[in-house]
Amino acid sequence: MARVLEVQGVSKRFLGLKALQGVTLHLEEGEILAVIGPNGAGKSTLLNVISGLLRPDVGRVLFLGRDVTPLPPEVRTHLGLGRAFQIPTPLPELTVRENLLVGALFGRPGRSRKEAEARVEAVLELTGLAAKAEAPAGELTLLEDKRLELARALATGPRVLLLDEVMAGLRPKEAQEAVDLVRRIRDAGVSVLFIEHLMPVVRALADRVVVLDYGEVIAEGPYEQVAREERVREAYLGRRA
Amino acid sequence: MKGVVLFLLVFVLLPFLPLGVWRAYLLDAGVFLLLYTASALSWDLVARTGQLSLAHGAFFGLGAYGVGLLEPHVGTLPALLSGSLLAGLSALLLGSVTLRLHGLYFAIASLAFSEVLRTLALKLPFTGGPIGLPVPPAFGGAPLAPYYLAFAVLAVAVGLSLWAEHSPFRLAQAACRQSEPVARVLGVRVVRVKLLSLLLGSLVAGLAGGVYAMKALFINPYEAFSLGRAVEALVIPIFGGLYTTLGPLLGGVVLVGLEQVLRLWIQEGYLVVYGAILILAILFLPRGLMGLWRRRRG
Repeated sequence: MARVLEVQGVSKRFLGLKALQGVTLHLEEGEILAVIGPNGAGKSTLLNVISGLLRPDVGRVLFLGRDVTPLPPEVRTHLGLGRAFQIPTPLPELTVRENLLVGALFGRPGRSRKEAEARVEAVLELTGLAAKAEAPAGELTLLEDKRLELARALATGPRVLLLDEVMAGLRPKEAQEAVDLVRRIRDAGVSVLFIEHLMPVVRALADRVVVLDYGEVIAEGPYEQVAREERVREAYLGRRA
Repeated sequence: MKGVVLFLLVFVLLPFLPLGVWRAYLLDAGVFLLLYTASALSWDLVARTGQLSLAHGAFFGLGAYGVGLLEPHVGTLPALLSGSLLAGLSALLLGSVTLRLHGLYFAIASLAFSEVLRTLALKLPFTGGPIGLPVPPAFGGAPLAPYYLAFAVLAVAVGLSLWAEHSPFRLAQAACRQSEPVARVLGVRVVRVKLLSLLLGSLVAGLAGGVYAMKALFINPYEAFSLGRAVEALVIPIFGGLYTTLGPLLGGVVLVGLEQVLRLWIQEGYLVVYGAILILAILFLPRGLMGLWRRRRG
């Protein structure tokens, strides 16, 4: 299988704080990869570096075999890199449909208005937002907000989707629906890298898990294997006295 | 849309209406009303991307000086277009340096830009210094020429604004305004959208300044590059209703009209009353006249 995304030796500092230190990881085509780790481990910083909102101090990001490190986020989106934020950020003065239309129209240069509108319909259907299409995006419930966040990233037509804790705050039943949705997205040909705190979700969804702690990769592999590792347990539970 | 058409219709027909003794006065004041409204609409075009421009006085002034310096040599329309292009070029220059800045930082940079231009107009050897420049009247002094030129400038502004409102550009502008990181991650070329908006806004403001110069027949740095003009360009859309075409049009008629009426009635201190009305409007009409309009229609 081909590697659609590679992070090579990425480091990022904020003043004195080392947020990421020599992080190397990759995502295979058609894979669902979870990045987990305690709060402050550098997970969101990693996503910001991959999507281009932050530049790494050292290291490279390769997307579909191409070095995208110097490219701004909008160009990465045009190449097929989609991103959903941890805190839902609807464009509140636009309707749900218009929010998706922004992604569909501008996410891929050269897409016609008709194609974009058709894409929006399909994504509204897939994500269960069709009934809310004309609602102002500023007036949604948390669950709908999260769906919109995901839907909007999908509307751009990504090859790789980055999800930042899109399940946080959902009830178990809702989280299960979201897990099913992410699976359907993958089955439609999108590779997924997601950050998550809820271990049941990670276990259900991830083909492979990467564990970050203090900005470093401390473990990698299938969930069952990673969960048994001493360093991972220490990172989450603290060192035994 | 109906409101916009009605608005344009009233002003295109104004010279043909039986206005009696008021005709000369109304057509005179009408020129300034049309120009300030066009300038306000062009400011709104920039505001739709979330950028607060204080450079609209400068674009206006560049258009005015462009006309003042060129009209004697090249004639009315080429001078007007050159003045507008001059404003556009300066906007590209200002924008390419500063549009990576957000919100208030851009506002401050654009204010500094206006101050630099005024200083240049004061000091350069060919601008007439603090005394200023005489400007020949439009088309050799045809009586209604400034009025129709002003109307044409407003029509251009309305055309651009309607295009921006009814094309995908509206979504790009709205996304930039509401969240730049989100807009970028969704693929919107944020800097390009902001730069294009500023360019369009500056071209219109430059045209307005050029016609103003031909009407005023004399320009000086304090008038042409006044901060007052920049502030007026933003007060009108805020009063009328931001991010719409009709809002700045209504705001322009009401505010510029109000200023004229107050000036006639209360010669001393009319600005105090004008200011009080603005404060009341901000307190009780948070979404401007358009908000009032929409509320009444339910």
